[in-house]
Amino acid sequence: MAEQGVLDGVRVLSLEQVHALPWGTGFLADLGADVIRVESPDHLQDRKAGPFPAGTAGEEWWNEAGNMVYYGARNKRSLCMVVTHLRGKEVFLKLVEKADIVTDNFRPGTMQRFGFDHDSLSAINPRIITLSSTAYGYTGPWRRAGSRARTVDAACGLSYLTGYEGGPSQRASPNYMDHSVGNNVAYALLLALYQRNRTGKGMRVDLTMLETGVSAVGPAILEAQRGITRERLGCAHWWKAPHNVYPARGDDRWIVIVVSSDAEWEALKGAMGRPQWAEEAKFATALARWRNRHELDELIGNWTSQHDDLELAQRLQGLGIAAGSAMAAEDLVHDSHLRERGYLWEFSNPQAPAVGSRVFAGRPYKDPGNPMSIEKVAGLGQDNDAILAELAGLSPAEIGELESEGVVYGAPRPDEARP
Amino acid sequence: MPGILSELRVLELTHRPSGAYCAKLLADQGADTIKVEPPGWGDQARHEPPFIDEVPDPDRGTSYLAFNTNKRGITLDVEQADGRELFQRLAATADIIVESFPPGKLAELGLGYEQLSQSNPGLILVSITYFGQDGPYAGYQGDDLVAQAMGGYLYAVTGSASKPPMGTALQQMEITAARNGAVAVMAALLRREQSGKGTHIDVSTMEAAVSTPSGLIHPYTYTGRNPHRGGSDGNVMDGMHLPTLDGEVTLTTAGTGGRPMEAWAEFLEEPGLLDSRFASRAGRMEHWEELHGLVAPKLAQWTNLDLMRETMARGLVVGLVQTPQQVVESPHLEERGFFVEMDHAGAGTLQYPGSGFFIDGENAMASARSAPRLGEHNVEVLCGELGLTVRELGLLRAARVI
Repeated sequence: MAEQGVLDGVRVLSLEQVHALPWGTGFLADLGADVIRVESPDHLQDRKAGPFPAGTAGEEWWNEAGNMVYYGARNKRSLCMVVTHLRGKEVFLKLVEKADIVTDNFRPGTMQRFGFDHDSLSAINPRIITLSSTAYGYTGPWRRAGSRARTVDAACGLSYLTGYEGGPSQRASPNYMDHSVGNNVAYALLLALYQRNRTGKGMRVDLTMLETGVSAVGPAILEAQRGITRERLGCAHWWKAPHNVYPARGDDRWIVIVVSSDAEWEALKGAMGRPQWAEEAKFATALARWRNRHELDELIGNWTSQHDDLELAQRLQGLGIAAGSAMAAEDLVHDSHLRERGYLWEFSNPQAPAVGSRVFAGRPYKDPGNPMSIEKVAGLGQDNDAILAELAGLSPAEIGELESEGVVYGAPRPDEARP
Repeated sequence: MPGILSELRVLELTHRPSGAYCAKLLADQGADTIKVEPPGWGDQARHEPPFIDEVPDPDRGTSYLAFNTNKRGITLDVEQADGRELFQRLAATADIIVESFPPGKLAELGLGYEQLSQSNPGLILVSITYFGQDGPYAGYQGDDLVAQAMGGYLYAVTGSASKPPMGTALQQMEITAARNGAVAVMAALLRREQSGKGTHIDVSTMEAAVSTPSGLIHPYTYTGRNPHRGGSDGNVMDGMHLPTLDGEVTLTTAGTGGRPMEAWAEFLEEPGLLDSRFASRAGRMEHWEELHGLVAPKLAQWTNLDLMRETMARGLVVGLVQTPQQVVESPHLEERGFFVEMDHAGAGTLQYPGSGFFIDGENAMASARSAPRLGEHNVEVLCGELGLTVRELGLLRAARVI
């Protein structure tokens, strides 16, 4: 975060859980917005989800989960408050007066039940931008359906299109959709702020995981309308060969090699020591290589399996061939390129001293005008007092009442189950 | 609604889907986006199969059509002096330039950030490359699969544990890089409103891939274990795809109040699911074949849409594994008005996906202009705006600059 973040002065109230929305508001927090994560003591799943050091939740587990650093609470503040309690609702609505954005990822209908729907909030603050991030949206016959990122990976068409060559469909990822939606949330919120700078008016954003997913498989959507079937090819390609993942020396080590031209094929042959098989006519042209790609893949695999993937990838890249090791997380943490670019961020959370210093993925872009880093990670309810006093205008006595009435919490309830 | 970005001009000078998609995200919000393509050949995506109606015409490549909506298109060879000069003149009018040359190439052409920002200090230049502008891999070659591999996604996410790594379809790393680029552009635009200054943004597709599993690096640094592919292997209740009458579905144990087998036994009318072997997740994984034998025949009696409706009514959570055809015909998406109809001189009328969000109830897609034909707006932009005569345009075309 820059000394003076671009979103300094922008306040976000986020009723957020799980992954997609916190990922999205995380961008705003990194850019300097005051993102207040409004958490319920009744739903601490995110803080229980880990990962925890060595897989074991510690004494203050609620502040120790790695996901809270990576997106849940990083550069945010935390207000742990029961917004369904009458007093909690009062406080929330007071905060809305001083907020620019309210986001939620409840199922459609819940915000209205709380009295927090766009029209109600807009009556309090006409400049308010509200965004609901849901699986299927506020309209349409599926609006009440529950979801997981994986079930929307399926519904948007991506799972159907993904699979080993000749094999069945397979879900692309358990959480790519969360990530993708989070990015779209950040984009939509920044667009909304940009627009409000012009009009002075708030707006209502209905953003869905299903539609974000469909927008990422556009080519297949067009093809389907004209009867074109896109077969599953695993790591193979519609027109390039070789283009696949090949075994390397060692256990579960793999290398990707991509050849896009005759010149690259010549270079690859050179790297392989010009074996006799590679000189055969059936591999001489791009078309021949593609037609005979299964045999080609097997022969290349015989060669790659004798080599270290990291070394071989570096050698092939030196020859101008697109190649890369299938890196495991451990490889990435030690990767010289990512280290040198400052992509890996080391952070030690003062709220979780037992965890110590850990390495996290950074942001995949650099902008010297808007530098980003992890400055702080909000512990559960860490900012209750500051928020209630400064923003909601409550006296210490009133804050004390909220605590004793079970409206705000600085830690999980004593009987909360440990993860 | 006029698009939110309708006062802005974007130039796109890219060679990969990531750049095209990033510019599309801005174009779909109304930015006047001019796609600059090499004369004669154009965007590589024009030439990649499949093609609409199997006509291998450069206006019918489906990736090209899908990733270039709401743009205008001109041709310019920026490696020739006249092309460079025309590009510089356009760049002076631009708010944002999206490019994907190998690092350093743009500066070599005299079109780098230092050069262009001198006459246009508010310019936001976005460079999207596979490995970024600096670091040991900056000169490496890449594509989506290489990014999946080097970004850790291939090893950890999609495939089966007992098989080689396997990738996600349809170049999702390119799209993720593009989405990050669009977020960076919006932040830079807001910064520019405060400072008047533009910036040079460096997006790396490899790094976008690392961030995509949303938990690759820190799960390792917390636990010492490498995240590994295969999470849906043998996972009947939480991952596998199971056949229905007219497609496939994937189940979840969500929405069952912590009693998944009771809820599903009741819904599927299959008391065998109550067997104690299936009571725990570990037990379900160990006996997955028997469990599959009970669940699959029951699901096979349902059509997808009936199953979705009835599970939804009971609070159960499933995912229909929809074919692209089923997505296009989705009654849900139709009622929401998600698809935007666009007409194209080569490809005809097609339904295109919207942006993924609605603003004040309206699909946030500024207009319904389909992808430009090669050089479609040459006269409009180069003559109409930059003042070339048609004769000069002809001269430059003959010289293969345009």
